[in-house]
Amino acid sequence: MDSKRPQLTQAEPLWFNPADYFTFVLDQEIRGAGMPGGYCGFVLELEEVPDLSRLQQRLDLLVERFPRASARLEQRGKRYAWMPTGRRIALEWQTCSSREEALQEVLEIFNRPAPMAETLPLRLHWIGDDRGGLLLLNWIHPLLDARGGKILMDFLCSAEPDKFGESPALIGEKLAQWSLWKKIGFFLKAKRHNAEANALESCLPTQADEGGGRQSLRLKMRRFDPQQTQRINQLALKYTGAAGKSLYTIGCFMRAMEQVGPPAAKAGYCIPYAFNLRRQNAPTPVFGNHLSCLFARATREQVTQRQGLFAHLLEQYRQTVRDELDYAYLPLMWLGQWLSPARYARLLRKQHSGGELSSLWFSDIGDLRFGPDGFLGAPVSGMFHLCWMTLPPGMALLVGQGNGQLTLSFSYLHPAVEESWLERLMARMDAELLETPEVGCALHTEHAQGMGDADSGGQCPPYGVP
Amino acid sequence: MKTQLRQFIFQELIFHEAPDQFGDDEDLLDAGLDSMGIMRLIMFAEREFDVTLPDTQIEPDNVRTLNALERWILNARN
Repeated sequence: MDSKRPQLTQAEPLWFNPADYFTFVLDQEIRGAGMPGGYCGFVLELEEVPDLSRLQQRLDLLVERFPRASARLEQRGKRYAWMPTGRRIALEWQTCSSREEALQEVLEIFNRPAPMAETLPLRLHWIGDDRGGLLLLNWIHPLLDARGGKILMDFLCSAEPDKFGESPALIGEKLAQWSLWKKIGFFLKAKRHNAEANALESCLPTQADEGGGRQSLRLKMRRFDPQQTQRINQLALKYTGAAGKSLYTIGCFMRAMEQVGPPAAKAGYCIPYAFNLRRQNAPTPVFGNHLSCLFARATREQVTQRQGLFAHLLEQYRQTVRDELDYAYLPLMWLGQWLSPARYARLLRKQHSGGELSSLWFSDIGDLRFGPDGFLGAPVSGMFHLCWMTLPPGMALLVGQGNGQLTLSFSYLHPAVEESWLERLMARMDAELLETPEVGCALHTEHAQGMGDADSGGQCPPYGVP
Repeated sequence: MKTQLRQFIFQELIFHEAPDQFGDDEDLLDAGLDSMGIMRLIMFAEREFDVTLPDTQIEPDNVRTLNALERWILNARN
């Protein structure tokens, strides 16, 4: 064992950090609404079967090196912790006859009930099919964030697993650097920012609320080829500059939703996005959530002007970073650890009216590259993501670029989100991202005609799982 | 100036095994500097060097290397 690595015994509790607790609150809300919980998935599409015995060995090493990979959740007083069990994470595998069937299997895994006491917090599935297969990493959000999921995948296939290690929560490190007065200042700033965000009632992709009956998780994807991806990247650079790539996607989504017509039409759009405290390319920390939250907000009027919207979102982001609001949420999250999940959710996530703050859950996983060796010898042809979310909003957009191909993964709740509406939204999103000629007149036309038609206007075939 | 920029970049934004050996003309974008990191870097530079870096100049070529960054900041000062 590396001497720098924490020497943990299986009996030591591994306490939640403040961001772990925030995601746990969301998990509790999802479970409270009768759904399995805050599970996330990272799927690699492989062209061949990887070396499965090496993969199992690496899973065994994972549990040895990172005790929280196989742990049970426990409440101790007001706080929560992972209690390592040392239980082996067995690679779960099955064979399907086609890619469609394999995709369906991914959703079946996600839709199975997953009681906390009986389910490992992290599981790995190999679903073989006629084109190779899908490798699904399935985990519960309080255990790690999406960037951690990517690092964990890297660990599983790395030739140098020793370079990966556990390290303290970055939120704790940041908080320790600040004086009490600085923390209080940040806390007040974050509260003001939250109140401001709450003042704009958010349009939602569904009218259903928690009482909307049984929901299942479904997935629709769009994948753009390398030329289209390059064009989208160039347009992002043109409209939001080198500093705002995610904002381009968020802005396009707002416009697409406005064009198709939001099912719950209110004053504007609010899309939270994560600010990751990890340094880019850092192999550590793997586990835990190391996030703060930022909001992209715009009124419906602002959304109607394409160029103006991007300029607004960029300026808003710049002001947020200038005011250090990216860090301001950390003391708020730290204090939130002592609130019950229900009270915390009311304070941080709901508007004053009681409505839902988020028009959508959004995450940009970034640009991932897989070398010629792919994943344990199997070439990687694509990747996608999925996650459960609260209802409302009932929809999440997870964005990632793998080997130069942009993939949009829309996770959504069925029947809360109407599928024909989502199809139209995705078509408009294609047109917005690629700036196809009809973009300029879309808002005018569709406002005049109501919901508009189902004509895609985009160029990418849907790649979805009903 | 470059020392402060280097320190901020490798302490806050990008992981690098040997940041001291990262060249002044090496590509920061290839090293992992992403869009969110660029904005934080710009805000750091504005605060630290008392300068305003215009939105219209937030281009990859101005943030691609430590030398380019330094040039951009010095030009904006003048």
